[in-house]
Amino acid sequence: MRHRRLLLPLLTACVLSLAACGGSPTGSDSSSGDKPAVSKEERQAKKVFDQLNGLTGQERTDKLVELAEAEGELAIYTSNSDIYDLVDVFEDTYDIDVSVYRAGSESVIQRVLQEQKANYFAHDVLETNALELNVANKEGFLYEYKSEFRDAARPEALADNWTGTRFNVFVIGWNTKLVKPGEEPKSFEELADPKWAGKVSMEVSDVDWFTALYDYYLAQGKTKEEARDIFARVAANSKIAKGHTTQGELLSAGQFAVTVSSYSHTIDKAANEDGAPVAWRDASGEPAQPLVLRPNGVALMKNAKNPAAATLFVDFELTEGQGIFEDAFRIGSLPTDEDPIEGLEVVAVPEKKLLENPKPWDELYAEIVQGGETVE
Amino acid sequence: MATTTDRGMSRAGSVVAGARPPAPRRRGRRWLPTPQLLITGAVAAVIAYLALVPLYYLLWGTFFDDNGLTFGGFERAYGNNRIGELVGNSLWFAVGAAVLSLTVGTSLAYLNVRTDVPFKAVFFAASIVPLIIPGILYTISWIFLASPEIGVLNAALSPIVGTAPFDIFTIWGMIWVEGLHSSPIVFLLMVAAFRAMDPSLEESALMSGASRLQTIRKVTLPLVRPGLLAAVLIILITSIESFEVPALLGLQNGIYVFTSRIYFVLRSYPPDLAAAGALAVGLLLIAVIGVGISRLLAGKGSKTFQTITGKGFRPRPMDLGRWKPVVGFGILLYFFVTVLAPLAVLLYTSFLPFYQAPSAEAFSSLTLENYRDLFKLDQAVTAMKNSLILGVSTATGVMAVMSVAAWMVVRARTRGTGVLEQLSFVPLVIPGLVLGLSLSFVYLRSPIPIYGTIFILLIAYCTKYMPYGMRYATTSMTQISNELEESALVSGASWWQTFRRVLLPLLTPGILAGWVYILVVSFRELSSSILLYSPGNEVLSILIFEQYENGQFTVLAALGVIMVMTLVVLVSVAYKVGAKVGLRQ
Repeated sequence: MRHRRLLLPLLTACVLSLAACGGSPTGSDSSSGDKPAVSKEERQAKKVFDQLNGLTGQERTDKLVELAEAEGELAIYTSNSDIYDLVDVFEDTYDIDVSVYRAGSESVIQRVLQEQKANYFAHDVLETNALELNVANKEGFLYEYKSEFRDAARPEALADNWTGTRFNVFVIGWNTKLVKPGEEPKSFEELADPKWAGKVSMEVSDVDWFTALYDYYLAQGKTKEEARDIFARVAANSKIAKGHTTQGELLSAGQFAVTVSSYSHTIDKAANEDGAPVAWRDASGEPAQPLVLRPNGVALMKNAKNPAAATLFVDFELTEGQGIFEDAFRIGSLPTDEDPIEGLEVVAVPEKKLLENPKPWDELYAEIVQGGETVE
Repeated sequence: MATTTDRGMSRAGSVVAGARPPAPRRRGRRWLPTPQLLITGAVAAVIAYLALVPLYYLLWGTFFDDNGLTFGGFERAYGNNRIGELVGNSLWFAVGAAVLSLTVGTSLAYLNVRTDVPFKAVFFAASIVPLIIPGILYTISWIFLASPEIGVLNAALSPIVGTAPFDIFTIWGMIWVEGLHSSPIVFLLMVAAFRAMDPSLEESALMSGASRLQTIRKVTLPLVRPGLLAAVLIILITSIESFEVPALLGLQNGIYVFTSRIYFVLRSYPPDLAAAGALAVGLLLIAVIGVGISRLLAGKGSKTFQTITGKGFRPRPMDLGRWKPVVGFGILLYFFVTVLAPLAVLLYTSFLPFYQAPSAEAFSSLTLENYRDLFKLDQAVTAMKNSLILGVSTATGVMAVMSVAAWMVVRARTRGTGVLEQLSFVPLVIPGLVLGLSLSFVYLRSPIPIYGTIFILLIAYCTKYMPYGMRYATTSMTQISNELEESALVSGASWWQTFRRVLLPLLTPGILAGWVYILVVSFRELSSSILLYSPGNEVLSILIFEQYENGQFTVLAALGVIMVMTLVVLVSVAYKVGAKVGLRQ
C-alpha cells in the first residue's frame, strides 16, 4: 500500500523533470536548426549600434556618452582577471553601473551558449579569449563594432566582430636563483638538452601554445617527426604542472628552474610587485624566442539591452584601458612608444585551426605531455 | 540490544489498532491525506526531482547526439591503449585513500567518543580543519612540506637521514594527501555512530573474557558496519572522481589516473560531455551496486545494528589505563601532521609576498599586505555573507529532508524506497559541469524566476550534497530500534509527533554530523557555482577562484586562513547547540 503512495510523487517528479528538459538538452548546436525570428532586443540594439557605427570623431563620442549614460547600466561577461581595475575607472568616469560575471573562459562560453539559446539576454559585452570569441561569432551572437580606435590596433587584434584589446604572451620563464646569469635558455629547443633533465616544467593544458610553436617549427622547415621529437625530449626533461598560477608559484619557490609556457604578466608581476626571483628576459633584456602571442578581446552582443554603454566600454578598453593593462604588466593591442615586444620574434596561436578541429591537437599534446608514443 | 520480536511487533500493531477505534467523525475525512503521507510524499518528490534533472541531462548527453543513439562517448572515455594503467592507478589511489581515511577517521572517532583519551579538545580541530582548507591549498601546503626539492620537512630531516626522506610526488603521496583530506568524512560519520552505541555490549564481551582487541573486532566494529560501509562508498567514489590531488601531485612524475581523461575531454571546446558522461555512468554502476549492498546488509539484520533501544544506557568512556600516554602522544602527532603543519604553512604563506622556504630573508619579508588586499576586495563581504547563507540553508534543508527520507528507506522499506535511496545517491557521480549545465538549462526555461538568483545555487548545492545527507541520516537511523517508535504509537502519538519528539532527538548526532559536513564543504563548491552564480551573488569559492586565476597565491592563503577561522567558530556553535538536544553524555 505504502509503496503505491510513494510511486505517485516519484512519477510526478519524473514527468516534471522530463517536461522541463524538453528535447535534446545537450545537442551540440541546437541553434542551427530553427532560428527564432529576430528578437525585440536585437532590433533595438541594432538601431543603436548602426547609428553609432555610422558616426565618427567628436560627434560619435558625444552621442555615445549621451546614449550610454541614459542607459545607465552595463553587464559584462568576462574571463579577464584584471576586469575590476577597468570597471572601477569606467564607473568613476561615466554615470553607468557595471555588473560583472567572471569565470574561466570555458565557463564563460558555456554560460553564453546556454543563455543565448534560451533567449535570455543578460549581458551586453563579452570579453574573453580569442577561441571563445570566435565560437560566439560562429554562433552569430555578436555585432560589428567600428571606431577609429579599432582601426589603430595591431593587425593581430582585428577579428570578425570582435576586437583584440590585449595579448597573453607565452614566454619561457626561469628562477634566477637556479639559473645562473649567462646560462638562461635562448630557445625552447635548448631545453631538450639532457642538462635540463628534471629542471623544466610544462603545463598540462597549454594546447594553444603548443600548436603555435609546433607550426613554427614546421614553418622553419622541420618535419613533423623532428618537431614532435623536440617536444618529446623537452617533456622527458619536464615535471608537469597544472594551472599557470600553481606553476608560477612553484617556479618562485624553486620547485623547478624553468617553465616553458608562463604568461609574461605572471612573471613580471611576481618579479616586480612581490620581488620573487623570476624572470623571462636576461640581463641584456633578451628573452628566449619565439614568443607565442594569443589575443584576448571584446565584443558587442547583438541582443544587448545597453548597446550604447557596451560600445562605450569597448572604446574605453581601447583607450584608457590600454594604460590599465600596461600597469598590470599586460601587452595592449594598440602599439605604444615603448613596445615591449618590438623587434622580437613572435608567433600567433592559430585560432581558426583550433576552432575548426581541436581534437587532434588536444590528443597530440596530451600524448607528448604524458611522454608516451605519439599517435595521429 | 533490541529485544522486540516479530511477534511483539504484530502485537504492538494490534494494540495500536485496538487503542484507537476510528471515531465516526473521522470517517468523512478519510480522503484527506494524512500528514505522514503529505510529508513522505513531498520528500520523495523533492529527492526524485533533484536527482532526475541532472541524471536525465547526463544520460541524454552520453547516449544521444545529433544523429540518435551513440556509444561514441564510451569509446572516447575508455578506448585508450593505457586505460588499464589509468584504471589501475585510480583504483590503487582510491582504495589507498579509503583505507587510510577509514583507519584514521574510525580510530579517532572511537578514541574520542568511547575512551578517556587526553587532549579531546584538539580532536575537534583535527576533525574539521582538513575539511575546511580548500583542496588546492591543502595539496600545495603538502608540496611545500614534503617536496624533495623544496619541502620544509625534507630540509629539516635530510641532514639527519642523509637524503630527503619524503617524496610527495608519488602515488603514496597522493594517497596520503587525499586520505587525510577525506578522513573528516569518516570521523564525523563514526562519531555519530559510536555516540549512539550502548557500551554495555562491549562491557559484556570484556566480562566474558574477550580481550580489548577482540571486543573491538567482534563487537564494536560489526555494530557500526552501516556507518563504515557508507564511508567506504563515499570515499571510494569521491577519490576515483577527484582530479585535484592527482593533477597537482601525480602529473609531475607522469602518474595519470582515470579522471585525467575526463579532464582532457571537458577542457577543450566543445566539451565532450558524452565522454565525461561515459565515465560518470561507470561510476554510477559502482554506486548502484554499493547502495544495493548496503541496503541488503541493513535489510538482513535490521536488528543487528539497532543499539538505541528502549533500555536506557549511559555512554561511559572506557579507561585506557597504561596506554593513555601512548595514545595521547599519537593524537598529538596526528594533530601536528594533519592540522598544524599544513595550517602553519598556510599561515606562513599568507604573510609572504611569494612563497619561499623559511629563512632569515623570508622572515624579514613578512607582511600583512595579503590580508589588506583581501579586505580591499569589493565582493569579499558579499561573498562571505552569501556563502554563510547558502551553507547554513543547504545543510539545514538537506538534513531536514534526509532525516524523513532515512525513515522511509530504513523503516518503511517498501519497493519505492529502494529507488529513492538509489536516486539520493546519484548526484555523487554527476560531474560539477554537468550539474551546472543541467540546472541552467532547466531554469532558463522555467517560468519561475530562479535563474540569475541565489536560489539556483541553493538548488545546486542541495542536489550535490543530498548523497552525503542521506548517508549520515540513514546510518543513524539504522541504529534506532523500532521499539521506541512503537511505544510512542501505542501511547497514542501520531506519526508526526513520534518523528519529531522521539526519532529526531535520537537522530541528532547523525544529523549534526551531516549538517557540519555539508556546511563546510559547501563553502568550497566551485564546479557548478562558477557557471550558475550571478553578479551580486558571488560566493567565497568564486573569490578563491578569482585569486587563483590572478596568480595571487599568497592572498589565497590568507583567504584560506580566514575561512578556517570562520568555520571553526561556526562549527563550535553548532556543536554547543547540538549538545543540548539528543543523547547526552
